[in-house]
Amino acid sequence: MIGLISVNNGDTMRAVQGFLKNLLQNGLVEALYLPLQVDGGAILPALVTDPARLDQANPLAPVMSINSARAVSAITNKKPPARLGVVLRSCEIRALYELVKLQQASLEDLTIIGIDCPGTFELSEIVHRKEEFNQYLPEYLAAAREGKQPSFAGLSPRQACQMCVQPLPTHADIALHLFGADPTQGIPVELSEELAGRLGCETAPVDLEAERQKVVEKVIAERAQVRQQELDQVRRKLASNGSLAGMFMDCIRCHNCMTVCPICYCKTCLFKTSSFDHPPEHYLLAAHQKGAVRLLGDTLLFHLTRLNHMSLSCVSCGMCTSACPADIPVGAIFSAIGEQAAAAFNYVPGRDVSEPLPLVTFQVNEWTEVGEAR
Amino acid sequence: MENQNGYEPKIVAFLCNWCTYTGADLAGTSRLQYPPNVRVIRTMCSGAVDPVYVLKSLIDGVDGVLIGGCHPGDCHYQTGNYKTRRRYIALQEILKAAGFDERRVWLRWISASEGAKFAETVTEMVAAMKELGPNPLRSAWAV
Repeated sequence: MIGLISVNNGDTMRAVQGFLKNLLQNGLVEALYLPLQVDGGAILPALVTDPARLDQANPLAPVMSINSARAVSAITNKKPPARLGVVLRSCEIRALYELVKLQQASLEDLTIIGIDCPGTFELSEIVHRKEEFNQYLPEYLAAAREGKQPSFAGLSPRQACQMCVQPLPTHADIALHLFGADPTQGIPVELSEELAGRLGCETAPVDLEAERQKVVEKVIAERAQVRQQELDQVRRKLASNGSLAGMFMDCIRCHNCMTVCPICYCKTCLFKTSSFDHPPEHYLLAAHQKGAVRLLGDTLLFHLTRLNHMSLSCVSCGMCTSACPADIPVGAIFSAIGEQAAAAFNYVPGRDVSEPLPLVTFQVNEWTEVGEAR
Repeated sequence: MENQNGYEPKIVAFLCNWCTYTGADLAGTSRLQYPPNVRVIRTMCSGAVDPVYVLKSLIDGVDGVLIGGCHPGDCHYQTGNYKTRRRYIALQEILKAAGFDERRVWLRWISASEGAKFAETVTEMVAAMKELGPNPLRSAWAV
């Protein structure tokens, strides 16, 4: 059912904070994971038990410092310690689903509070404009209401957000609607009758669903076009002479992409183990073989291996692109390749938690022509 | 296509211990002739072939990679080769999408008794790799 969080004095943030406080106060969850804003203006993910702390909650701020799936993995792991609530965007929920399949997170006793995502801005741009960013929310919500692409200080949202065709928090137990709504009046919230009863949430007086549907369709259509353009451009570059190697020429092997990726969960990456701790003779031999060898070495192999390990679960959150110091469009590359590889298995990452990962399952009688001589 | 500048393809073959490696051995004891372009690496199961081995071989400049395993249903470890099959498909898609020639990586089911089949497969693969020409990554150092 669709309820309504009432908003007083047009203060949307206060209303959301009040709604979330209710989750803690009436014991639905013992702790809540969500972004808090500190005095200096920085917005940090936090696990909160004290409702008073939620006066600093800011889950609507259009910035994503980490993909929260990795934080939810940390606080749930094999078995959550208590009934927890997590406030997440669509890409974070989808990444969480993939982590659950990889046995790195658990959905047991977990209440997912999802929020429509009109897009986030680059953290590196926000950190220098904190005061201005603090005043930006009403303008942002107004853009969401009309389905217009938000703009802040002349900046567009992150490329990944401009291309995101899944902005709605499907699979959430409680979903806050921002598209097509006037959040200065009230925030529509989708949840089960049971939860609504528990939270004292009344049915929304006006049915805004048709309006929301229209706005959402428009947003997705626009973004689908951008996605098509970006991925086609990447595919063109990959098909040309340089191929993948060409696109990672500027890579400095900082491994930021891997570190911020919610799917890459290995405590020690293969490429940081002794397997890649080559003796000096190895480098000299490699230099002789091809006339020269790139150092630090194995750059193309690193990215091809990472593609092999996680691209089938890539949810296109774009944290990798945001983190790359060489401005390589890692997210677009991994999305383009991952999408094609996953399609071979009719698999869509994050679509369904009961859908097994393509590489951990098999059928006896599939692809029977593979491996046979022609 | 003619042999350009004496190009001889280098092929690395990851062969499963129980089937293909034994089949290759049979080809040898039967004195079957086949081109000497293959370098064999024995693994216990084709399912133990990590795609990173295949990728490293290609990036280092090898012209072709052969993965040999037991026929589906006959895996010594029951289900290893079913996983090989899926991994191979994923690898093919990724190579294709990333702009590499996926025709350089072959998966073949060859049993311990199929010595002749092993010899035929290698002969076929060498001819195919000659057709494709040398792997462009042979001289790519900025990788």
